[in-house]
Amino acid sequence: MEKLLPIIICLVISCCMGDVQTAEKVKLKVLHAGSLTEPMKELEKIFEERNPEVDVQLEAAGSAKTIRKVTELDREADVVASADYSLIPHMMYPKYANWTIRFASNQIVIAYLDDSKYSNEINQDNWYEILRRGDVKFGFSNPNDDPCGYRSQMVIQLAELYYNDSSIYDDLVASNSNLKFVEKDGNYILEMPESENINPNTEKLMIRSMEVELIYGIEEGEIDYYFIYRSVAKQHNHKFVELPDEIDLSNESFSDKYSKIKVILANGKEVSAKPIIYGITIPKNAPNKEYAEKFVKLVVSKEGREVFEKLGQPPVKAFADFPENLPESLKDI
Amino acid sequence: MKLSTIFALLSSILVLFVILPVFSTFTTQFSDLNGLVQTFQDYDVWRTILFTAYAAFLSTLFAVLFGTPLAYTLARTEFPGKNVVSGVVDLPVIIPHVVAGIALLSVFGSKGMIGSISPVKFVDALPGIVVAMLFVSAPFYINTAREGFQSINPRFEQVARTLGATQFKVFFTVTIPLTWRHIAAGALMSWARAISEFGAIVIIAYYPMVASTLIYDRFLNSGLQASRPISILLILFSLSVFITIRVLLWNGRKNESS
Repeated sequence: MEKLLPIIICLVISCCMGDVQTAEKVKLKVLHAGSLTEPMKELEKIFEERNPEVDVQLEAAGSAKTIRKVTELDREADVVASADYSLIPHMMYPKYANWTIRFASNQIVIAYLDDSKYSNEINQDNWYEILRRGDVKFGFSNPNDDPCGYRSQMVIQLAELYYNDSSIYDDLVASNSNLKFVEKDGNYILEMPESENINPNTEKLMIRSMEVELIYGIEEGEIDYYFIYRSVAKQHNHKFVELPDEIDLSNESFSDKYSKIKVILANGKEVSAKPIIYGITIPKNAPNKEYAEKFVKLVVSKEGREVFEKLGQPPVKAFADFPENLPESLKDI
Repeated sequence: MKLSTIFALLSSILVLFVILPVFSTFTTQFSDLNGLVQTFQDYDVWRTILFTAYAAFLSTLFAVLFGTPLAYTLARTEFPGKNVVSGVVDLPVIIPHVVAGIALLSVFGSKGMIGSISPVKFVDALPGIVVAMLFVSAPFYINTAREGFQSINPRFEQVARTLGATQFKVFFTVTIPLTWRHIAAGALMSWARAISEFGAIVIIAYYPMVASTLIYDRFLNSGLQASRPISILLILFSLSVFITIRVLLWNGRKNESS
């Protein structure tokens, strides 16, 4: 023990010292959706270069979880960015926030590599024919666990309506698993079984809990194609087929068409298909409001938009739901 | 203070540290007995747990089949590079299990060194689960069996040899009977470790679903309340197998010494 004591003291001191050094900087906590990780990292770099007195601390998680950190776990955050803008008003108004700015979009694509089977043939018009072929394997994430997973189901079902071929979902998914859409009063509803009962035919389908787990599936050659966000495909340098706006959940003007498709998750939650649009806000209890406003300003600036464009998340025209609630410095967006 | 008192104090801290989280898992569940009963009656949950136990059993069979000769060699012979081999045996303990899963996938995947020529499919199939379990649990078997072989005096074997027994006969009639308890304990540890594996399995085979994947999945989409009863079921199931076999082994030892 006597021998260990100096070591312990040194350890304790060095821990404290470490704390002192970073304490001099302002810590700007940015909680964001997992799919925003890459652009947020770039924005962090730009922001810290311009404001060397600030240490931007990024924290990625699922969008709902990100918001719950503030609303349920009482975490102090300076900026909150969600992959579904509607979650912010839904979960944070009025107690934790009172405005949301929509700033970027995303879309579901079918990503592949050069050595995927029939990669030289696939395009916007024949992708479902290619996926139907017996020797082609494809993947999506588990709809129960991951929004990208249920969105993939929505896209495949929307394809039936768009291409006027009522067996696309059946051939690709229903005949290879326990997932099935049922038509009811013009709506299409997929009632998800518990995950252990999805029973995928693993000769044809690869399912993983989260969308990013499919990346090693394609890179190791287990699957030829997978349904994924455009941004993720782009950031991993995968090729991808862009699907028509009518089905890829990117375009607000098709909201009505999308909304006919619903998925009821195994936990009972019901989700309707809607455009994938990101939202950002500053929580009311943000400790560093001034820098938070500067950060949001960077996100919606021309420079910020270029970052999102480059990383595959097409920016949308910044749009605030309650402009009168915006902080002064953001009113001119 | 006596040394034994200090040791007793320090030991109890660690024992408490292990027991408390398990204990709290159980006590929290008492407020939701309904959920527990429902899970007990859930056929799919049982199917998943039994499937996991079966896969772990297969993995343990392979560990015993290939691990016993290795353990014996490490215990009894000196050869150049022995330290390296010992290190390799412990490697799976050091490697993060997700990394192990990715490494296994690169060998057993459809384009991998073994996966591409094997008639058996590993990815998203039982053989994939078994290799992932074997990878992480083999050290537990090999090291315990090795200790067993080291604990018996080589002179017993030499005596048998001078009496004319062949090497094979000595190994199966002298060495194995003297170490069977270590072998059984090692196999049990390796089985238990295999059942509890998650990180490596989930990479190579999300389906067919094993118990740990099921628990994680429920946690993700329905929260703690939905995943806790399954955890309890798995703990109770594994513990009962564990204790039963331990008691059998322990009774055997008592009879032997009396």
